[in-house]
Amino acid sequence: MNQDLYTAAMNTAAGTLLLSAVLVVWRRELRAMVMLLACQGVALAALPVVDGIAHASAEVIGVGVAILALRGAILPAVLLRLVARRGPARRGPARRESAPVVGTSLSLLITALLTVTAFAITRPIVLLQATVGSMAVPVSFALILIGIQVMATRRRALSQTVGFLMVDNGITSAAFLLTSGVPLVVELGASLDVLFVTLVLGLLARQVQAHFGDSDVGRLRELRD
Amino acid sequence: MTMIRAARRPETTAAAGAEPQASHDARQGHDSRPSAAAVWGGAATLLVGLAGVVCGIAALAGRSWSLSLESLFPMVGVQLELTPLGGLFMLLTGAVAVIVGIYSAGYARAGHLGGFPLAVMPIFVATMLLVPAAASVPTFLLMWELMAISSMVLVLTGHRRAEVRSAGVYYAVLTHLGFMAILLGLLLLSAATGTTRFAEISAAIGDVAPGARTVIFVLTLLGFGSKAGLLPLHAWLPRAHAESPSPVSALMSAAMVTLGVYGIVRIDLDILGPGPRWWGLMMLAVGAVSALFGVLHASVATDLKRLLAFSTTENMGFVLVALGAAALLTSSGMRDVAALALAAGMLHLLVHGSFKMLAFLAAGSVQNATGIRDLDRLGGMARRMPVTTTLFGVAALGAAGLPVGAGFVSEWLLLQSLIHRPAPGDTLMALTMPLAIGVVALSVGVGVVTMVKAFGVGFLARPRTDEAAHAREADAPMLVAMALAALACTVLALVPAALDPALRAFGRTLPVPVATLGGVVIGPLGGLGSIAPAVLAAGMVGAVIFAVALSRIGARSRPPAQSAVSLWACGADGLTSRMEYTASSFAQPMQRVFHGVLRPETDLSVVRAPGSSYDIAKMAYRERPTDAVEAHLYRPVLRLVRAAAGWVRRAHTGSVQLYLVYGGLGLLIVLVLAR
Repeated sequence: MNQDLYTAAMNTAAGTLLLSAVLVVWRRELRAMVMLLACQGVALAALPVVDGIAHASAEVIGVGVAILALRGAILPAVLLRLVARRGPARRGPARRESAPVVGTSLSLLITALLTVTAFAITRPIVLLQATVGSMAVPVSFALILIGIQVMATRRRALSQTVGFLMVDNGITSAAFLLTSGVPLVVELGASLDVLFVTLVLGLLARQVQAHFGDSDVGRLRELRD
Repeated sequence: MTMIRAARRPETTAAAGAEPQASHDARQGHDSRPSAAAVWGGAATLLVGLAGVVCGIAALAGRSWSLSLESLFPMVGVQLELTPLGGLFMLLTGAVAVIVGIYSAGYARAGHLGGFPLAVMPIFVATMLLVPAAASVPTFLLMWELMAISSMVLVLTGHRRAEVRSAGVYYAVLTHLGFMAILLGLLLLSAATGTTRFAEISAAIGDVAPGARTVIFVLTLLGFGSKAGLLPLHAWLPRAHAESPSPVSALMSAAMVTLGVYGIVRIDLDILGPGPRWWGLMMLAVGAVSALFGVLHASVATDLKRLLAFSTTENMGFVLVALGAAALLTSSGMRDVAALALAAGMLHLLVHGSFKMLAFLAAGSVQNATGIRDLDRLGGMARRMPVTTTLFGVAALGAAGLPVGAGFVSEWLLLQSLIHRPAPGDTLMALTMPLAIGVVALSVGVGVVTMVKAFGVGFLARPRTDEAAHAREADAPMLVAMALAALACTVLALVPAALDPALRAFGRTLPVPVATLGGVVIGPLGGLGSIAPAVLAAGMVGAVIFAVALSRIGARSRPPAQSAVSLWACGADGLTSRMEYTASSFAQPMQRVFHGVLRPETDLSVVRAPGSSYDIAKMAYRERPTDAVEAHLYRPVLRLVRAAAGWVRRAHTGSVQLYLVYGGLGLLIVLVLAR
């Protein structure tokens, strides 16, 4: 793989990461959000795979394949099963983020602001070491911030899980880009954690649904002491 | 008036309350051999204590030994060193632990002490021994905190009862407030001198600015004062001492509390050195107020262990009065008198350890036998538990500070040092010393009333409850331990000069010298106010023997006694326990006189008979002294904290989204600032 192809592939993967995050903010259907998350997972997995092919490192490719399996397939599948359990009506209220805390246009504006902030605060890191990989670090930070934004502005437990997974995608990509190769054991451990968190959050969403008839986490407001 | 049956497990409390007799029989039928856990736990405590005694004696004999374990804790390591200054405290702690170890083997029987507290007790003793051996600030803080935590675990032994949990909360909060003050003070100290070793800090102390020294002094005095049970952070002491098992109370009151004094001596006298005069004045004031406060509360307490705990505050107050007087007298050039004050303080510390340990152990064996701590429900112990009663009498005599009691010599010497005439023109001394004398004398006087109450009401008189009437004498290990403690009391009372070498070694490094007590006659000031406690005791014993012999001889010539016929009986015949003084009624005059300080809460509830506005079916009267410091210092602070917490709570709406926004904003701020 020559240098131009490598740079282009990395940049495409990073761009896809950011684009999918922005699209998650834009879309309100839960199924569409999960599909976008799956795309993001594939883009995330592309980073180590491209890197591994470029540097001919089997272990890094292995990490990429593991990420692809977990974030491109398993986690979206778990979430899709949750979506499928929602009410019988195809476009019923439960399948949509019906009333987000912040409107779509304002959300997109905030996303733009956060992305600019992410680029601003990561400038020292990029300047420190101007490689192809570290050029993509701002995207990772943007992903983290947008993930938090999604968690903070959505009401459904499922969309919040999507936001959480975006935060985690951002952390994983930042770790990979900055250290160029987290050991496989560490990556596997972190992935297992994420899987468990997702399963537990799914369980929580189901319980909230069973108790209140919908999965609005605002219902948990009563839980404070 | 608390009626607490501390010794029993909660599940049996209800049954025991309903049928005291039945539970008592069950207790009598219990196997009297100590369990294996009790023997091992007691032996472990004893061995650790023995090691402490050996180390303490070696340190006092001038052996130096140090150990540095750099790998045990990353960055700072652990440094230990034997010093004569710490040796005295190691000796005291070790000796207390030896006796408590023997005692707990007997006390642990019948499930009064489980395996867990028995296992923690040696650890607690070991940490107490390591505090005076610490040679650097991090090691000292580490051992101090370990000591606090292990004692905390021991206080919470009976955690199923609400009173114990409340005592635990008080202890945890106050001891950690104290720890924070110590932490800040010692960090400031090592930052100002640029080293963490005490020896190097001592050498570099001259470079520290006077302002920083003052801040360190105030912080450490507050922090160590909380451990020593001194005002204002004293409120844990009556609670924790009363609610923990008696061997633990004895360990805490006789050994742990004195380590607070060790901290004050080590940091404030030894390292910070002679400071401005108001330092001494402050120590004197804290000591005097604590002594008076402690003894007043002790005089109206009806719970035996609570009474003893307040008496600990009083005695530590005396020690601090002595330290403050020593500092003041040094600054006005009277080094001889200062030396006497310091000797009196240190002697009192050791003596207090012996008699307070004995008192707590005796209280524990009473509680073990009856399940009662409330003096209003005890009585008649002299018949049922003669040995324990006698031994408690020795402790009470010591605590009362009467001649031939353990506390007499040190309190006498303290008064002697205070009474000394100041140099002409020294207004400060001329004003403070008489006040201090007044406070000490008043405290000693009220202390006598307190101990008369504890001994007379609790141990003499007639039993007031069934449990007290059917008490059984304690087991052999407990009696042996208490006898050893009584022996220590007696030796210290009669020949305090035996401690001379130890005190001299202790004071070698201090800026203030420690006076020599002398031989049989104790008169460090050249004959002025000398006493000879052994001669005094011999004279007293001789007088008693003489009087007894005389009455025997007189009895021969007297006609034989008539057999008693009760006509009016003059109150001697049909005497019931309802006719005697209770602890509450005995303390009533004190409560009246010191009403303004004690501010008792009174509560009178009257239940009228049904259908009548004149007949009364039941009346209950309760009176409980309130803690003025708690009411006027703790409560306002707690209110403030609560109000602040209320403000913070406004941000907690329960909305998950809002919390996430907080988190996100926090992350953003950190990222922007860290850029």
